[in-house]
Amino acid sequence: MNIIKLAHLSLRNLFRNGRRTLITVLVSAAGFAALAILAGYMDFSFYGLRELTICKGFTAGGGTGHVQVFNRESLTKEELYPMQFGIEDNEKIRSDIESIDNVSFTMPRIEFNGLISNGDKSISFLGLGVEPDKEAGLIQYWNSLEKMSFKNNLSDEAYVQLEKKGPNSVLLGQQMARALNAEAGTDLMLMSTTVDGAVNAVDVTVAGIIRGAMKAIDRHYLVAPVETAENLLQTDRVSNIVVVLKQTEDTAVTSRIIEKKIAGRSGQTVYSVIPWDRLAEYYYSVRDVYNIIFSFTGIIVVAIVFLSCANTMLMATMERVREIGTLKAIGVSNFWISLMFLIEGFMIGILGIAAGLGLKYIFSVIINSSGFRMPPPPGMSASYLLKIFPASEFLPWIALLILFSTTMSGMLTLLKIRKISIVNSLTHV
Amino acid sequence: MSKETIAELVDVSRFYGKDDGQVTALESVSLSLARGDAYVLVGPSGSGKSTLLHLLGCIDKQDSGSVIIDGIDITMKSLEELAPVRLEKIGFVFQSFNLIPVLTAYENAEIPLLFRGFGSSFVKDRVNEVLEKVGLYDRKHHYPRQMSGGQQQRVAIARAIVGNPSLILADEPTANLDSKTGGDILDLLLNLNSDEELSVFVASHDIVVLERISKVVRILDGKLSID
Repeated sequence: MNIIKLAHLSLRNLFRNGRRTLITVLVSAAGFAALAILAGYMDFSFYGLRELTICKGFTAGGGTGHVQVFNRESLTKEELYPMQFGIEDNEKIRSDIESIDNVSFTMPRIEFNGLISNGDKSISFLGLGVEPDKEAGLIQYWNSLEKMSFKNNLSDEAYVQLEKKGPNSVLLGQQMARALNAEAGTDLMLMSTTVDGAVNAVDVTVAGIIRGAMKAIDRHYLVAPVETAENLLQTDRVSNIVVVLKQTEDTAVTSRIIEKKIAGRSGQTVYSVIPWDRLAEYYYSVRDVYNIIFSFTGIIVVAIVFLSCANTMLMATMERVREIGTLKAIGVSNFWISLMFLIEGFMIGILGIAAGLGLKYIFSVIINSSGFRMPPPPGMSASYLLKIFPASEFLPWIALLILFSTTMSGMLTLLKIRKISIVNSLTHV
Repeated sequence: MSKETIAELVDVSRFYGKDDGQVTALESVSLSLARGDAYVLVGPSGSGKSTLLHLLGCIDKQDSGSVIIDGIDITMKSLEELAPVRLEKIGFVFQSFNLIPVLTAYENAEIPLLFRGFGSSFVKDRVNEVLEKVGLYDRKHHYPRQMSGGQQQRVAIARAIVGNPSLILADEPTANLDSKTGGDILDLLLNLNSDEELSVFVASHDIVVLERISKVVRILDGKLSID
C-alpha cells in the first residue's frame, strides 16, 4: 500500500466533519501551548532560582557566588573556637583566583554570631562580614543578566550605604530592626567571643535595613563590613572566599581551574573548591517540588488531549461503519484500516502542534510584556516578575508527547474496527 | 470438456441465533460454479440468498461444510485471514454501491490495487482501462455525490473488476436503479462475462435479470436447486 495514498485518504476524512476536527485540533493546540508555556515558565523559574541563589541566596549567608573556597577541615570538623578553620592567606588566594580569565571578582566572608543589643534588649544574631562594594557587585551581576533584566532588578542600595558608612556600621534584617526598634542611624552593640575565647563588644551604627528572602531568617540576620567582624572576633582569617564568574555556565570548568591553581600553590589540597550547586540545597528542593507539579500538570494536559482525540476517532469510526465494512469486504485488512485512523490522529497532532506553536508564541509575548508579578513563593517575602522563556529544548519533546497522544488515540479504534462485522456493516445506516 | 470450478460449497450449513431462537439460513447446501459462467440467484426474501452470497464472498463463515474458492480451501480460515482472498479473488458489487464518498471515481476504483503492492504506473493504466470499459473515463475525477445512481454502480463495477478477480458477486445490482439504467448495468456485467470470461454470480429479484441469465440458482428455505 502506498502510504502517501493512505495519508491522502486520511486527510480527506479529517475534513468530512470539519467542525469536529477543528475542535480536536484546537484542543491539541491548547495542550501543546499549555505544556510549552509551562516549560517556558519552568525554564524561567529554574534559571531565576539558580541565579538568585548565586547572587542573593535564601539564607543568612547571602548569595553563594559561583564558587566558594573553604578550608577543607571546616567542612568536616567542628570548630573548637571561632575561625579555627578559617582561611589565613586569603589575600594571596584571591589574587591567584582573580588572575583566571573566567573570574569576574572574589570576596571574603566571615560568618560570626553573638548578641546584639540596643541597651534595653538583646537578641541573638547570625552575622556575615562582607566587603560591601563586592556584595553590591554580586547583586549587580544579577541586574546585568539579560534574561532577567526586565523590571526584575534587585537593589544594592543597602550595601552602598554600608560601604559609605565604613567600619562599625551594620545592615539589619527587617524583622530584627523591628525587634530592636532600630532604624538607620541607631547605635547598637555587637557582642561575641573572640578567637582566643574572650568576650568582646563593638559599637555599631545601623547603616540600613535589608529584607532577606525568608522571614524567619530576617529576624536574626545582620551584615557588617569584614573589618567590623575581624575586629569583633579579633582575627585576620575569613570563613570562605566567594568567587564570582563572568557567566554561570563556566562554573564547572572554572572550579577545576581554581582547584589546580590553589593546589599548585600550596603543594597540597588544604582547600575545598565547591561550586554553587553543591551549596544550594534550597535550590534543589524547590526544583524537585516544581518538577513534580509540572509533571502532574503535564499528565493531566496529555490525558485531556488523548481523551478529546479518542472521542473524535471513535465518533469517526461509528460514522464510517459502512465504509469500514466495505473496505473489509473488498479485502482491506484491519491493519490498513486502523493505520488510516492512526494517520488521522497523527495529522490532528501535527496540525495541533503547528497551531500550538503559534498560540505559545502569542501568549508568551502577551505574558512577557504584561509586567505581571507572581506572588511570593512559600517562605519568601518578595514577589517576582513573570516571564516565559522560549524553552526551545523542551519543544520537540512536548511535540512528541502530543503526537504520541493523538496518534495513540487512533489505536483505540483498532478494537472497534476488529469488532465490526462485515456483513452487518454493509447495510449499516 | 467440462469447465474448471471457480467456487464450490460442499454440504454447507449456516445458522443464526442460538437454542430455541435458532434460524436456519442454509442447510446442507452444495453448489459448484464454473469458471467463466454467469449465474443468477433467485429466491424470496429470507430464503438465504444474501447468506449464500456472503459465504461465496468470504465475508461470512459457515457453521459446517467446506468452501473452496479458486482452488483454495478456506474452510478453516478466519475472516481476517481471508482478506487477501477477497482482495485477489473476489469482486463485490453492492446494491447501494458502497463507494467511499470522499474519493473520486478514479480513487474508488483504484482501492483494491493499492493494497496489492502494484507499481503506480500499472495502477494508473489499469484504473484508466477499467473506467474506460465501464464508460466513466470522462468522469473519473467526479465524486460519488456528483454522479447518478447508474454511474455510481459503474464505479462499483470498475472497483470490482480492477484487480482482475476470479469471481464477481453482485447483490441486487439493479435494485436501486431505474429499469433503463438497471438494464445498462446488467449489459455491462454480462459483457464482462462474455468478453473477458469473468465468472459472475448475481443475486436478484429483477425479472429482467432472470430473463437474461440462463443459469439460475433457486433458493428456498435454505435449500438450493439449479436450472
